[in-house]
Amino acid sequence: MRNQFASTLEDIGALDEKLVVLLGDISVYLLRNFENKFPDRFYNVGICEQTIISMAAGLSSLGFHPVVHTITPFTIERCYEQIKIDLCYQKLGASIISVGSAFDYPASGCSHHCYEDFAVLRPLPGMEIVFPASEIEFDAIFKQTYNNGHTTYFRLPVAKHGIKFNEDQLRLGKGIKIKEGKALTVVVTGPELKNVVAASEMLDIEIIYIHTIKPLDIELVRQSVIKTGKVLTVEEHNVIGGLGDEVARAVGDIGNVIQSRLGIEDKFLTKYGSYQEHCMALGLDTKGIKRKIEGLL
Amino acid sequence: MIQPIEIRKSILQACSASGEGHIPSCFSVVEILAELYGNTLKYRKDDPKWEDRDYFILSKGHASLALYAVLAEVGFISAAELLDFAKYESRLGGHPDRNKVPGIEASTGSLGHGFPFAAGIALGLKIKHKSNLVYVLIGDGEANEGTIWETAMVSAHRRLDNLIGILDDNQSTGRCLPLTDVAKKWDAFGWKVHEIDGHNNMEIRTVFQSIVRDKPAGPVMIVAHTIKGKGSGLLENNSFAWHHKSPSAAELDIIMRELV
Repeated sequence: MRNQFASTLEDIGALDEKLVVLLGDISVYLLRNFENKFPDRFYNVGICEQTIISMAAGLSSLGFHPVVHTITPFTIERCYEQIKIDLCYQKLGASIISVGSAFDYPASGCSHHCYEDFAVLRPLPGMEIVFPASEIEFDAIFKQTYNNGHTTYFRLPVAKHGIKFNEDQLRLGKGIKIKEGKALTVVVTGPELKNVVAASEMLDIEIIYIHTIKPLDIELVRQSVIKTGKVLTVEEHNVIGGLGDEVARAVGDIGNVIQSRLGIEDKFLTKYGSYQEHCMALGLDTKGIKRKIEGLL
Repeated sequence: MIQPIEIRKSILQACSASGEGHIPSCFSVVEILAELYGNTLKYRKDDPKWEDRDYFILSKGHASLALYAVLAEVGFISAAELLDFAKYESRLGGHPDRNKVPGIEASTGSLGHGFPFAAGIALGLKIKHKSNLVYVLIGDGEANEGTIWETAMVSAHRRLDNLIGILDDNQSTGRCLPLTDVAKKWDAFGWKVHEIDGHNNMEIRTVFQSIVRDKPAGPVMIVAHTIKGKGSGLLENNSFAWHHKSPSAAELDIIMRELV
C-alpha cells in the first residue's frame, strides 16, 4: 500500500503542480522519487503534526492541494482541533494519509494504536473517510478526491484483502457488493474483507465491501438489509463510532432489523505480538467471524 | 491615516451594543492594526482576493472587533455593520471567519492556529515565487501554545523571509505562564527580532518600513510592548476583570471620556 501511495503521488505530482507533500518525518525514503522530481513541493516539515495540519490549511487557502502524511494517532487524534477548525470549518481541502491505524503497529503498544479515528472524524462536516485495502482502491479514489475541496482521510493498512477490483468499480462513497445472499448482510471494511469472504463460504450471506466510511453508500446497505433483515458490521475499529454506527444510522428506520457489530469492544488493546494475533484475540479472523455469523443465522 | 481613538470608540460602541467582545485585548492592538492597514499592507478593499495583496492573519482572534473596526475604517465593510457585531445573523463574530468577512484570511479563535496557518501561506507564496508578504499577529498568552514554537522552528528552518510576526506582548499571561525574555526566545529560535512600543505609531511604521526595505534573510518577529486596555484607566487598571466584559451605560461614558 505504501509503495502505491508513493507511486500515485508521483503520478499526480507530475500532472498537477498544486500538489504539495508535507511529512511528519516518516516515509521520507519511500517518497524520495517525489522529492527528487518536485523538490519545491516536498517538505519533511518536522515532528510537529499540529503545525503541519495548520500549514496545510494555509497552503490550501492559496489553492494548493496539500497531502499530509504521518502515523494515524499523531495526525488524527493529536491534530483533531486543527482538522476541525483549520480544514473542515474553513472549507479548505487537504488529503491526510496515515499509516499505523488500528493495531497495525502491534508491538509498539497503545501509543501507536488508533482504532478511534473513524469515530472522531465522522462528525466533522464535509469530511471524507476512506479505508482502501488494495492498491487500486487508493490510487483510484485519491485521484478522485485530492483536489475536490474536501478534507479526505485515507487510512492505509498493512494487510490487504487480496480481492481484485477494476478501476470502474471504485468511486468515492460507493460500496461494492461482493456476494449475493438472503440470510444476513455483512458490511465489512478494510483487510477484513478477506476473512469475511472465507468465513461465508457455503453460507447464504450477502457481503458488502465499504472502502468509503463517509459518505457511506447508504442505498446499497439499505437495499441489502431490507432484503435480509439482519446486518453484521466487521471492522478493525472500536465498535463505538465506526462503521457499525454509520450502518446503524443508515438502517435505523427500516424496522425489525437485527444489528450486530464485530470490532474492538470498548477497551484498549494492551498486548503486543503480531497483527494476526490481535485479529485472533478479537475474533477478527476467519474462525471468529464465522462463529459470529453462525450466531446470527 | 487611521485614528486609533476612533477605532477604540468603534470597538466600545459595538461591544456595548452587543454585550460581547474583548475590549482590553482589542485596545492593545489598535495602533498596530492602524499602521498595518493605514500605511503598510498592500490590499484592495474592493478586491479582497487580489492576487498581489499582502496577507494579514489575526492569530489572536478574540481581538476580532479591533480588526473589524479597522476593516470598516478602510472600507472592506461598512461602519454601520459594526453594530451588528455578534448578532445571530451577523457576519461579524467574536472570532473572525474567512468565509464570511471580506478581508479576513483565516478563521481564528483557538489560539495557536493562525500562526502556523500564516506560515503555510508564506510557504505557498514561496512555492509560487510570489513576493507578497504575510503579517501575523499573535498574543503573549497565545505564545503559551506549543504550535507557536513549532512554527517558530519550522519558519526559521525554511527561511520564510516573507513572514512577519507581531507579538502583542500585553502581559496577559502574567498570572499563569509569563512569557519572559521574549526577544531572546525569538532570537534563539532563529528569528530576526525587533522590539518596539506597540502604541507608538511612528515606531510601528518605522519598523514595518525597515523590514520591507532591508529584506531580512528569514522570518521576523516584532515584539510590541503593549498595554491591555490601552487608553482607558478603567480598563488598564483591571484588565483581567474586563477581559470578556461589556460596559454598562455608565462605564461606557467613563471610558469614552477617557479616550483622548
